[in-house]
Amino acid sequence: MNPLLSGLFNQRNQNGHALGPIQKIDVPMRRYGEEEVDYVVVGVGSAGGVLLQRLSRAGFRVLGMEAGPFWNTERDWVSDEAGSHNLYWEDLRITGGEHPLALGANNSGRGVGGGSVHWAAFAPRLHPSDFRIYSQDGVGVDWPISYQELKPYYEQLEMEMPVAGPAWYPWGDPHGYPYGPHPMGGVGNALIKGCTALGIGVSIGGPVAILSGSHGDRQHCIYRGFCIQACKVGAKASTLITHVPDALENGAEIRDNCMVGRIHLNRENRVTGVSYFDAQGNEHFQKAKAVIVSGYAIESPRLLLNSACPGHENGLANSSDAVGRYLMAQAGNVILGRFEQLVRMYKAPPAHCMTEDFYETDPKRDFARGFAIQTVAPLPIAFAKQMMMAKGAWGWGLRRVMMDYNHWASFGLLGEILPWPENRVQLAAEKDRFGLPVAKVTFTLRDNDKKLIEFGKKKVMDVMSAAGAEEVVQESRYAHLVGACRMGSDPRTSVVDKFCRTHDIANLFVCDGSVLPTQGSANPGLTIQALAARTADYLISQGDAVFNSGRRDMTAPPIRRELAPPGTYGRGIPRLTSSSQ
Amino acid sequence: MTQPEKRKQPGYYPGFSTLSQQHSWDEATRRTVLQRMTHTREIRFFTSQEIPIITAVFDHVLPQSDRDPQYRIPIVPMVDERLYTNRIDGYRYEEMPPDQEAYRLGIAAIDEMARSIHDAPFVELAPLRQDELLRTLHDAKPQAAHSTWERMPVHRFWMLLVQDAAQVYYAHPYAWDEIGFGGPAYPRAYMRLERGEAEPWEVKEQRYEWQAPADSVSDRYELVGGHDEHRATPGQGGTH
Repeated sequence: MNPLLSGLFNQRNQNGHALGPIQKIDVPMRRYGEEEVDYVVVGVGSAGGVLLQRLSRAGFRVLGMEAGPFWNTERDWVSDEAGSHNLYWEDLRITGGEHPLALGANNSGRGVGGGSVHWAAFAPRLHPSDFRIYSQDGVGVDWPISYQELKPYYEQLEMEMPVAGPAWYPWGDPHGYPYGPHPMGGVGNALIKGCTALGIGVSIGGPVAILSGSHGDRQHCIYRGFCIQACKVGAKASTLITHVPDALENGAEIRDNCMVGRIHLNRENRVTGVSYFDAQGNEHFQKAKAVIVSGYAIESPRLLLNSACPGHENGLANSSDAVGRYLMAQAGNVILGRFEQLVRMYKAPPAHCMTEDFYETDPKRDFARGFAIQTVAPLPIAFAKQMMMAKGAWGWGLRRVMMDYNHWASFGLLGEILPWPENRVQLAAEKDRFGLPVAKVTFTLRDNDKKLIEFGKKKVMDVMSAAGAEEVVQESRYAHLVGACRMGSDPRTSVVDKFCRTHDIANLFVCDGSVLPTQGSANPGLTIQALAARTADYLISQGDAVFNSGRRDMTAPPIRRELAPPGTYGRGIPRLTSSSQ
Repeated sequence: MTQPEKRKQPGYYPGFSTLSQQHSWDEATRRTVLQRMTHTREIRFFTSQEIPIITAVFDHVLPQSDRDPQYRIPIVPMVDERLYTNRIDGYRYEEMPPDQEAYRLGIAAIDEMARSIHDAPFVELAPLRQDELLRTLHDAKPQAAHSTWERMPVHRFWMLLVQDAAQVYYAHPYAWDEIGFGGPAYPRAYMRLERGEAEPWEVKEQRYEWQAPADSVSDRYELVGGHDEHRATPGQGGTH
């Protein structure tokens, strides 16, 4: 074949290619030993990575504990669906309730970068209405902060990731994106066609935290479609490459393959550190002046519950009995359509086109809140499992429909499910390999949730038909996990205050997706990182008071844009409108 | 026609070979995929009594009789390794036993059903009888072995089987060639993203009609367990 047509380039290079991890991360060995640090951050994922970066840059001695490995992306990551299991939290959890959640690959990360390593990277903001759905719609609960309080951090993190998308994004609080929109793949074209036919607005080419142009030492997207198998290219944002390198450069230590099993408390009701198991299974104690739990919506409540001690028999920071409760997943039905013409949906990032036209409460519908519609593009194994559910395919029927893989496109419903106290994380009787009780997750839909899903899935099926699909099927599923350590003003009904400090213990914080009181219909990754940056600004503004005082200062700090990783702020990004108080 | 024509490569992309493109894959991916192809580990989880039964079961759950024998994709050894090394998907339904116990119970129940309904072990049944018996698991209407299915929801066991089979089969380059999936694409990119266009090294679709064997009942589509909402199970794909 003509070498130009074969797609190979730079063949004389010994490695056969010029791409690869052009970003070099110098990973230091142990820095702090067992000596006391200022902050231990438990879990280096979306929130943990940002917290470590901000706090280290501000001069704190910080240590990130990560249950999974520090990735060598060229060695550890593969362009292969079945070979990517180690990216996910696949230790045992028990799932139940009337609508049990699938866990693991679906929603739980492991290793430095956490879920941001395997997210599809849709990065929409929450809408202003999301922060007050109780006041506005009489459902769920209001946040203790407003959209305006989080807005500067949305703008900031959209640059730090950065997010690619249209220059004008019309929904919620209208805004634009710093990097240009991505080209369409076959699924995006189908979504555009279906939405346009039905008069539905559609956002083309984002918002997605994938580079449409190179960024510092990061390469732009090559459209290979393996986003949720981790981006070996380095185009998709994960805190592993956006924030962790700067954290390390500023003195943070990340102790990988270390599973924290318990947070320790002294008689003065202050945490003193954590005990953890290293890669060999040996238990150690790490002293810290303060602890931030960033283990996401299952592991964070599990750690608090597993840290029960005299005086806190129901778990740490749980005087409200809210730890583990109000767990949320979003309705994530996948709607699949077969087209006469070829689609080949494995090309291009799964996330590249979406609509929020149905996001807000519509009085003409019989339920509160709404949903988004987004492109998804399963690779063969995921598609086979979807065909098992959506068509009941097995045997020859499975072989037959799989031979048509290239004729199918798929859209995802992303619908808001409300927070319910009975949807929760508890401890199971089973124990993991360290002897720690595993999490038991209970999930059941309520009336509003069911009506929303029914309406939403029909609407997405309509869009798929309008796009020209000759056959449309769907599978019920759920996406993302948030809640279970929710923030609120009332210590009787929430776990942390609006700065992510636990109501019960002055030097214990929870900062990750578990603090979200409600979830909207936006993918949570951006919101989690924005909250982490805001929490970091608060901690920095409080200085040593966090370590030696019980005083709870509720003054919001100014945003500290200068703490952004180098090269991510002030690079001619348009429309930075919020003033820094 | 009782049997589809045997082919080296079924599917509508004749001559397409993802493996022929391995020179453009990164080293780690190449190693992972090639190791999968040469996997010949001995069976360590399934017992010698279980092996013929589970082999026959997977021959129906994911039939390959249209493939030339040397181009079939071994399912049982990979499932065996998963169970032996206890590689799970990160959760277990509260009403389900651990995967290993589920397989032991399920295999015994399938054989018990064969003996109870047809008075013969499962492996000695005619292919159509085997297919029909498995179909009752798909439909969540098993005709026998009720004491097992009271302990373990039949539709969840069925989905475990189908998922395990699909997970192994569609991880294999032969299956990628069959369905026209481009396979690993790093560091080489995909450049032709729209209108289903093929890269120059991909192959244009050439469809043909084929029929499943007459002694099978799996070439039709009905939802697992029917439309019963209590069978609600979340999708497993992990796509967003």
